[in-house]
Amino acid sequence: MPKIITCFKWVVDEADIRVEPASHRLNLERVGYKISDYDRTALEAAAQLKEKYGGTVTALTIGGPSAKKSIKDALSRGADQACFVSDPGFEGLEPAQVAGLLGSVIASRLEYDLILCGDGSSDRYSQQVGPRLAEKLGIPVVTAVVGLELESDRIIAERKLETNLEVVAVKLPALLTVLPDLNTPRIPGLRDTLDAAKKPVVTIAAAELPPVAAALIETVALQGLVLERNCVQFGADANAIRQLVETLRKSGAVG
Amino acid sequence: MAGIWAWAETWELLQEVLRLGKSLGEQMGASLTAILSEQLVAAEGCFAQGADRVLRLPALPPELPMEAIVPVLAGQAQQDCPELVLIGSTQRGREIAARLAGQLQAGMVSDCIAVRFDRAQGLEMDRVMYGGRAVQTVRCLTRPQMATIPARAFPVSPPAAGSSGEIVDLPAPEAGKVAVVARKPKAAISGNLLEARTVVCVGRGLETEADLALARELAAVLGAEIACTRPVVEEYHWLPEHLCIGLSGQQVNPNLYLGVGVSGQVQHVVGIKDAEIICAINRDEQAPIFKVADYGVVGDFREVLPRLIEELKQAGSR
Amino acid sequence: MNFTLTEEQELIQANIREFAQKHLEPIAARLDEESRFPSEVIAQLAELGMMGMPYPREYGGGGTDFLTYTIVVEELCRACAATGFTVSCHTALASGPIFNYGNEAQKQKYLVPLCQGRQLGAFALTEPGAGTDVGAASTTAVRDGEDYVLNGTKTFISNGPNADTYVIFAKTDPSKGLKGMSAFIVSRDNPGLSVGEHFAKMGIRASQTSEIVLKDCRVPGADLLGREGDGFRIAMQTLNDGRIGVAAQAVGITQAALDESIRYSSSRIQFNKPLAVNQAIQWMIADMATELAAARFLTYHAAFLKDQGAAYTREASMAKLFAAEVANRHASKAVQIHGGYGYIKGQKVERLMRDAKITEIYEGTSEAQRMVIAGSLLR
Repeated sequence: MPKIITCFKWVVDEADIRVEPASHRLNLERVGYKISDYDRTALEAAAQLKEKYGGTVTALTIGGPSAKKSIKDALSRGADQACFVSDPGFEGLEPAQVAGLLGSVIASRLEYDLILCGDGSSDRYSQQVGPRLAEKLGIPVVTAVVGLELESDRIIAERKLETNLEVVAVKLPALLTVLPDLNTPRIPGLRDTLDAAKKPVVTIAAAELPPVAAALIETVALQGLVLERNCVQFGADANAIRQLVETLRKSGAVG
Repeated sequence: MAGIWAWAETWELLQEVLRLGKSLGEQMGASLTAILSEQLVAAEGCFAQGADRVLRLPALPPELPMEAIVPVLAGQAQQDCPELVLIGSTQRGREIAARLAGQLQAGMVSDCIAVRFDRAQGLEMDRVMYGGRAVQTVRCLTRPQMATIPARAFPVSPPAAGSSGEIVDLPAPEAGKVAVVARKPKAAISGNLLEARTVVCVGRGLETEADLALARELAAVLGAEIACTRPVVEEYHWLPEHLCIGLSGQQVNPNLYLGVGVSGQVQHVVGIKDAEIICAINRDEQAPIFKVADYGVVGDFREVLPRLIEELKQAGSR
Repeated sequence: MNFTLTEEQELIQANIREFAQKHLEPIAARLDEESRFPSEVIAQLAELGMMGMPYPREYGGGGTDFLTYTIVVEELCRACAATGFTVSCHTALASGPIFNYGNEAQKQKYLVPLCQGRQLGAFALTEPGAGTDVGAASTTAVRDGEDYVLNGTKTFISNGPNADTYVIFAKTDPSKGLKGMSAFIVSRDNPGLSVGEHFAKMGIRASQTSEIVLKDCRVPGADLLGREGDGFRIAMQTLNDGRIGVAAQAVGITQAALDESIRYSSSRIQFNKPLAVNQAIQWMIADMATELAAARFLTYHAAFLKDQGAAYTREASMAKLFAAEVANRHASKAVQIHGGYGYIKGQKVERLMRDAKITEIYEGTSEAQRMVIAGSLLR
């Protein structure tokens, strides 16, 4: 009956981001927010483990007050309770700070056998928090998990690497970061969403914790990525295709 | 001894990281140390790529995961105090880097695609954010500074013959709490996609396996590698995962990329942005791929491809 | 005045939007082309608890307010108006009368499986000779011992061919006109009930529509809804709620029209520029978005009033009247923006324009809505 903590992040929905064509400035005026995609996989993995083996799932997140909306979302995805570490100053922390804060909350207040994280968040995709958190807590970490079995007090995990699949065994307590191949997160049904309001939530303010460490990296600029290529259109008829091939030959693209 | 460290899990990637390290070292006035996992190449290979010193790791017993080297690297880093640590960005590379950064209390820039050095300001590094929509410029406030370097983001150099340097053998890593139980091969790896001069990429616009055969015929005439977008792997299951181009797949930089029935979602386009020439064929005039292509044909690929194949054959024989 | 949705409403909206994008959008064109009932999607929606949302949990429902249900209908209709309408017809028109007027035994027997989505419901009021003129209905229900025997033909019945449970209106006392009408719950397996002609429609083609033929259809007295003579009142009250669903359907269609218009005009190049640089197109899109917002607020407001227990008949009619006309106006504009492409089968806007039309007609034509609104102001 494992005690599982799933860490998740409330992020900007990148599909709503607009880039101003002239200045390349990012326009975040009307962005929606969501639980980061890989974190959904982690929440689903926790829910499935609980269905199979029993135990409890605590969903844990750090953010500014606007992240409060994420709590019911997480609770509707199979978590039993949530822990929300909230402060306006917690928007835009860099990965080492996040790992530090998570480590401090977990070490001081939460019991666990297993910690699940998404391999990377859909906004920054730094892929640092999981391993850094494991180092902070002094527990082993397994990243890139695409298959997962619990055997009494150890996890057998399948990792997707570039060259092969690596199967590892690790004794609990441990931290795993997961890739979306692991499962397909279910769309919460009506009952799951409505029952979320009844589940306990612990909110922790910054003042209750040791001060956040100084940032180790700083963002100097953030601009829209714009690919500028002028699309020359060709028709689909034989003549136009001949011209296309000629153009490609001239530019050395075809031999 | 201050300096720049470079490590990667493959020789291909290590060469790119060394080339970058060498270039930065010249600007920063720092020496370059290659950390070499013994089974990759002989140390001479690293010297030929500009390393001044090689720290050599012994081969790992099979039950140790590669990440077991972290404590050894951390110990050595605490002795050597490198100025900058560059690690090749593979799955394991990123884990090793993040854990090392944790142990060294170092700031780290993940998947750095561009670096600039300024005598006054130091290093500035660029990386992609928001699913490929934004470029973030970051400065590392700690020493060491750390960055992971993705494949094909930086060029390689031809080797310089006759170089040499100091070789130091590092202690063997100890077993940690994670044990490797088995290693299973994935489908035959075609590293060819990353090397390919020409790539024909199929997308969701294709509907039948006969369509795929047509695309393969085009690839054959062009001498191109075949690749695909993620839906072709995950929904159609026509092609293996390693042929998938995109943010969570391969990033390619061929001379010519030809998208057939590819709509051009941002997650895919990020994987082709370094192609010399992007050419797209799509029935949908509104497809976003046309915004990032050099040449576009709006039409049914079932009609366009046979014409293109015919024309290429004729041009080839002229 | 609080114009924000609750956290639950936002979550449910986001979840149904994701569901519609993943499971409904990819098949909507084919459903329309084949006039095929979306059975797999309805089954999935039942799993998600979406087939009886505004009814209490003790009857297998979701226990939500009416606004939440309205939002779900809108999101489904944005992807496929026919599927969204199937849900709304089942929920408001079939389950509604049983919940509002049924006794406990009827609720347990019929409402529970409907809310759980294990059975599908339909509402049979319209007849070949009685559309807006409900009183001209000629289906009769003659008392025979403990039972009633129904005879007559109902037409344009949505969910007609697939339903398990029908709420059917028949005259128990033709001499009393509208006051002589009663409502009955009739099961599909009743030997006196048969599905008549299937209709091939202009739009919402995946929604199945047919005649229902009652021939010596024996209905036990226990299946009379309310009392004899309650039928007209039941029908009108039920249509009030149904109207909010149709308004939501029209809003969903208009939102889809706007989505498509923005997408197309941003990437279609003519004269070396995207269409969107032309003021004519910009104004069309501005008007579309503005009227869409107005239609949505009217619709949500009607649902809100119902949830508050306030009078909402006028507002429900206003919402349906306005949203339906907006949907038709702007689905047509969306086709216009698409030019020739908008006229071709397979383009979403071609389907939207055909789907929009029915919203001005069923559950009370726009003319009937005007009568209701004027009546409520001038009496």
